[in-house]
Amino acid sequence: MSLMDKMLALDQRIIFALMFIALAFPILSPVILPMNIQQYSRDSFEFADSIPSGSVVLIEGGLGAATYPQGGPGLEVQIVHLLSKDIKLVFFSIGTETAAWTVTAIDNALAKLPSGVAAENGVNWVHMGYVPGGESGVAAFANDIRSVKTEDHFGTPIGQIPLMSDINKASDFAALFWWGGSEGSIPFGIRQIVTPFGVPMTGMCTTNEVPNYTPYINSGQMIGIIGGVRGSAEYEYLMGMPGLALGQAMATNFGGLLWALLVVLGNVLYFVARREGGAK
Amino acid sequence: MDSFLLGLIAGSFVSIGAYSVLIGDNPLSKFTENLYMGILGGFIFATNWNYVRTSAINPVLQGNYIFVVAVILCVMLFSRLKIEWLWLSRYPVAVTVGAGLGLAIRTSVMADFLGQINATVLPLNNINNLVMIVGTVTAAAYFIFTAQMEGPYKYVNQTGRIFLLAAFGVTYGQTVSFRFELVIGRLVDMLRPEVALYTYAMLLLVALGLGYGYYTKKIKWYSGR
Amino acid sequence: MSDRLVKMQIPMILTAVIGLLMIIEFFFPMPASVTSLNVTLRSFVTIISATALILGTIVLTIFHTKKVGTRGSEWYYSIVYVVAFVVTAGLGVLNVRDTTFLWIYNNMTSPIGAALYSLTAFYITSAAYRVLRARNWNAAVLLVCALVVLLMLIPIGAILFPPVVPLGEWIRSFPSGAGFRGMIIGTSLGIMGLGVRVFMGRQKEHLGIREERRDSE
Repeated sequence: MSLMDKMLALDQRIIFALMFIALAFPILSPVILPMNIQQYSRDSFEFADSIPSGSVVLIEGGLGAATYPQGGPGLEVQIVHLLSKDIKLVFFSIGTETAAWTVTAIDNALAKLPSGVAAENGVNWVHMGYVPGGESGVAAFANDIRSVKTEDHFGTPIGQIPLMSDINKASDFAALFWWGGSEGSIPFGIRQIVTPFGVPMTGMCTTNEVPNYTPYINSGQMIGIIGGVRGSAEYEYLMGMPGLALGQAMATNFGGLLWALLVVLGNVLYFVARREGGAK
Repeated sequence: MDSFLLGLIAGSFVSIGAYSVLIGDNPLSKFTENLYMGILGGFIFATNWNYVRTSAINPVLQGNYIFVVAVILCVMLFSRLKIEWLWLSRYPVAVTVGAGLGLAIRTSVMADFLGQINATVLPLNNINNLVMIVGTVTAAAYFIFTAQMEGPYKYVNQTGRIFLLAAFGVTYGQTVSFRFELVIGRLVDMLRPEVALYTYAMLLLVALGLGYGYYTKKIKWYSGR
Repeated sequence: MSDRLVKMQIPMILTAVIGLLMIIEFFFPMPASVTSLNVTLRSFVTIISATALILGTIVLTIFHTKKVGTRGSEWYYSIVYVVAFVVTAGLGVLNVRDTTFLWIYNNMTSPIGAALYSLTAFYITSAAYRVLRARNWNAAVLLVCALVVLLMLIPIGAILFPPVVPLGEWIRSFPSGAGFRGMIIGTSLGIMGLGVRVFMGRQKEHLGIREERRDSE
């Protein structure tokens, strides 16, 4: 077997090991490089910044265990951003796991709040918890919150929550922030809240889903989007609160370069083998 | 040791168990997968039971008898466990599918169909608008599978395919980055200074255990690709 | 009432009536009684969906329990599943906000889930090395777009190859955006077509016809 054949038939476990090293090394030995801000992230930040003080906004917390490292830092910083502007927050989630992780985001964000910022549960924010049913659940929630939720995530009856006293449908909110993670649920928000009720929306999704939503951004149905860990890092940077997301964004450097190198190498070997008449 | 640190260490151990599947199926990875399914199944059971209890059963007990219908529909769903009674489960499924389709259709028409067509009506005064119009029309036309692939439609189809491939290529590039971010997210927790030593110790233990298993042929070694 | 009416036709009619009620409510003013009925139906859907998830976990538990009982292949791993399920579900049913229940979920399931989900990073790299080839112009388009966008996303890409940033953003916004817009329009037409077929009774798969036929054969 020639060297080229051996390279083409490389055991995949060697590739796994190389990738592990490429991804772990920057975590143990961080390298910080300058990073430009994507237009989608800037639009999303400016939209959040433009919401008037005293408004009530709806946030869908859709980050789970796998996607919290990417979106969690960004969500925490956005919660700080909105609470610091005296904007009231109503959270809900369409998954059981994501409802639990939304609590983590709220707790971490409250720990980062500057002193003097009001953040009382039931007054400045409330987590309405898990709403089952996917898009049907979102539609039911958007049309009549009390038809699907009688208590918040922590068991407090909705009648005892001051923030919810005048809120019962999507049109009562000034804006929608859809932190969809990898749920693929951003279209639920667009179809069931933005289109029927005219509530403006921005959101977050994992990096792989950003292209799926560019048509909604181009058509104005959504204002910008925070894409994956890079988007979260950019939000942190725009807020002046660099944190976990920035370090993780930098850590993608070596893995990405290794992937690009392997693809180029694979193609070079393929074309050489094809010219020699040996490619399969 | 506080519960937060204990949690990080436990998380690191089970993550190593999950990652060991990269070497090939082995007892540790299978144990980890079954542990995961069991805990996740229990979590889903408990949280959804809590929702049914608070949204259906409690209202009935408080006198809101319309929710008796919901409880009956839920019980009918369990008829799927016995094939002779499967027809009973068609009623709750009919309610769910009917409502779901109705809700999706009514807003999809406005948001996805009309909204996107409206956004495609652009002035032909720059290259970006031209690309958007040509790309949208040809990509949508690609899905007409009943037309013959000849004449002008052949070129429409080929152009649409190029735009769709560009979309898939962009998605692929973004997906690659996303997958790396997933690993990095896990590694950040596993390699924290307070947890790193436990992670390395567990890695060493797993390496020794699996190495012994492969050497004595007690665990099957998957050779080749 | 005939067997076919109760077992098949009434569910199909129910699907159509409820679906049409939801659609008509959106486009035409309706009496308060109809709107109230729709609100109730939507809340029923969320309750039934939650029950379906409970049923799914029960079916999986029955499968594993049978495997342990009949000493099926690798039955000892099923014991792990059953014990983990019973402990977690038991704690959660007693108190869904119990700290031990939440600790088990946050520190055992979440890391495993994240790790399993992230395994694809390795498989995608191995697959790219073996399979992602510019065999023809179509494949070359896909490959070039993927490379440009990935280099745009990693910070070092912008430093090593500065043109990838504006090029990548343009490709993502315009050609790719146009392609996805075409897909969204196509999908929307598909949803409408599916809805018409289901409401007219031409498509009955959602009623479990295939499972019934397969299991009775």
